[in-house]
Amino acid sequence: MQGISFIRIIGVGIKSLRLHKLRTALTMLGMVIGVWAVITLVAIGEGASHDAQEEIKSLGARNVIIRSIKPPSMREQMQGDWESFFRRWMAIYGLKRTDASRIKDTVPGVTRVLPLMTKRMTAIHGPREIGCQLIGTYPYYPEFTQAQLVAGQFLNEAEENSKVSSCVISLELAQRLFAGHNPLMERIVVSGYESSQVFQVKGVLQERASIEKLAQLPDSVGQTIAANVYIPLSSFKALYGEKNVDRSVGHLKLEAVELSEIRVEFDSVDRVMPSLPLLSEALNAGRDERDFEIIVPIRELKALQKQKARDTRLLMYIACISLLVGGIGIMNIMLATVTERTQEIGVRRAMGATRGDITIQFLVETLILCLLGGGIGVVGGWGFAWVRHHLLHTTTIVTEWSVLVAFGLSVMVGLVFGLYPARRAALLDPIDALRHA
Amino acid sequence: MAKRSIIQIKDLKKVYDLGAFKVQALKGLNFDIEEGSYTAIMGPSGSGKSTLLNILGCLDRPSNGAYILGDDDVAHMDDKELSGVRGSRIGFIFQSYNLIQQLNVVENIHVPLFYQGKDISDHYDHCVKLAEKVGLADRLDHRPMQLSGGQQQRVAVARSLVNEPLMLLADEPTGNLDSTTEQEILDILDELHGEGRTLVIVTHDDAVAERAERVIHLKDGLVDQDIRKGAAKAVAN
Repeated sequence: MQGISFIRIIGVGIKSLRLHKLRTALTMLGMVIGVWAVITLVAIGEGASHDAQEEIKSLGARNVIIRSIKPPSMREQMQGDWESFFRRWMAIYGLKRTDASRIKDTVPGVTRVLPLMTKRMTAIHGPREIGCQLIGTYPYYPEFTQAQLVAGQFLNEAEENSKVSSCVISLELAQRLFAGHNPLMERIVVSGYESSQVFQVKGVLQERASIEKLAQLPDSVGQTIAANVYIPLSSFKALYGEKNVDRSVGHLKLEAVELSEIRVEFDSVDRVMPSLPLLSEALNAGRDERDFEIIVPIRELKALQKQKARDTRLLMYIACISLLVGGIGIMNIMLATVTERTQEIGVRRAMGATRGDITIQFLVETLILCLLGGGIGVVGGWGFAWVRHHLLHTTTIVTEWSVLVAFGLSVMVGLVFGLYPARRAALLDPIDALRHA
Repeated sequence: MAKRSIIQIKDLKKVYDLGAFKVQALKGLNFDIEEGSYTAIMGPSGSGKSTLLNILGCLDRPSNGAYILGDDDVAHMDDKELSGVRGSRIGFIFQSYNLIQQLNVVENIHVPLFYQGKDISDHYDHCVKLAEKVGLADRLDHRPMQLSGGQQQRVAVARSLVNEPLMLLADEPTGNLDSTTEQEILDILDELHGEGRTLVIVTHDDAVAERAERVIHLKDGLVDQDIRKGAAKAVAN
């Protein structure tokens, strides 16, 4: 009939809500908490998932990592017989260089194979002694692991051949061993049970991530701890022999592992999964016990993405429930408000308000509650995520869809749960409403 | 003065259907109300007084008969049309003032215009003038809670005038007031009558009815007496 300015209706709504500030605030609280929770939970989940995915990606989606692990028979408790005692005392197991070449030759789609020999040693520079891991590998190690060279150069083919005693150290080792001054061209001593060797530092490498978080197994050798010394595989072989024996003093234990790790690179991501059976076959040839594990980053990544989709759905349900609860709270209050304001409704009707005017007025009031509550929730959730991300340095990613869904749901809730009280107000008989005291 | 009838009631009946039986509240009323007249409607409870008030105020519809307000037959209008008539043709004054608590004096006066889609910013001065007219120039931004009963009723009177209605319809306007304040409100009503406005007051109070120039007595749903005393009242004033 007449056009009442929508802004004026909102004004009327705000005036009514301001009459009972505490009640309005408490009614909004349900909506605030619901929206806040959705945005924050999704942001935390997204952040954690992002971190995990980055970590897996840093291992290389095209890569497969095969690591030597102590087979079950060598991990058993002492049986009493000499054979089992010997097997535990002198444990010879793990991957061999022949495994690496067999994989390269028999598994289709393999572009490169990176063998790693590792040994627990102590790095010494001046008065400092730091436990470290000596890694013998090929020059393309950084490409495989997506490690970043922060200073100097990595090992190259020339050194591989000339067997010059130079090495690259990891950033963490550099920080701990050199405590701030430049490690380049400095000499370090790498000392182990049987020998000590001097190396010249020619580069510093920053590891992207470790696979430890992905699969932690007891007794696996060659754990990529952060304090690493990298030398050419040929130097490693020349210095410590074909069989890499790890002696633990006082433990009366010898471990001989030829290669602690083989990394396999495929030509494409799609090649990885179909080639796994062939890879297992190549490794199983000539083995009576499984003394290796295969880590497939792409498989972990896919599992993680699936898990994430599940988590997201779960969060959606929680969100819907919390907003539903908030909506019911709002409807409850609005119904009470309609009863309380019956006389006002009668007066407005007498002053010319149509049923439509009354419906819109109460609907708008409910919507204001929901929008305001939702808005505060969005700001709060976003703010919380910001603080967590920037001040607490924990990856927290606010996703647009979570904000839209949370806010959209709060508006929907306002419309759905506001309509019934509003209609009830509008359908009141003005005569009865006026008589209501 | 040209006496145009602004209300014509013809054979007005109202039956309440209570299911088991029917109650005939109005049994066929006939009267006209002329422009600029001051009419009091009286009668004991159960006489149909409230029913007539509701119909006159377009809050209810008659079961039978005609009710012409101005030029329109409002007896057969739907809810939405009646809302429009209430907002534009009738100025209500209630016994319990019925102001809206969350609005201040000026905003309360503006309410009938609001529902005609007229913005308060365009009619602010008009509302303020009405507040001044009823003596509330220094209370413009007060809330009803901050006003006395008499002051609240003054606001209600100002509100009833804001839409330039055909008729002011008052329901026991002094029922909640002490005698001093009652006189003040009645004086304002007299003043409005003097300005040529049409007043209809439903009351059971003889002191109120005394001010009117015409008293319609209802009894059992019918007009019992219809007394015009225009000339005598003019002298008394």
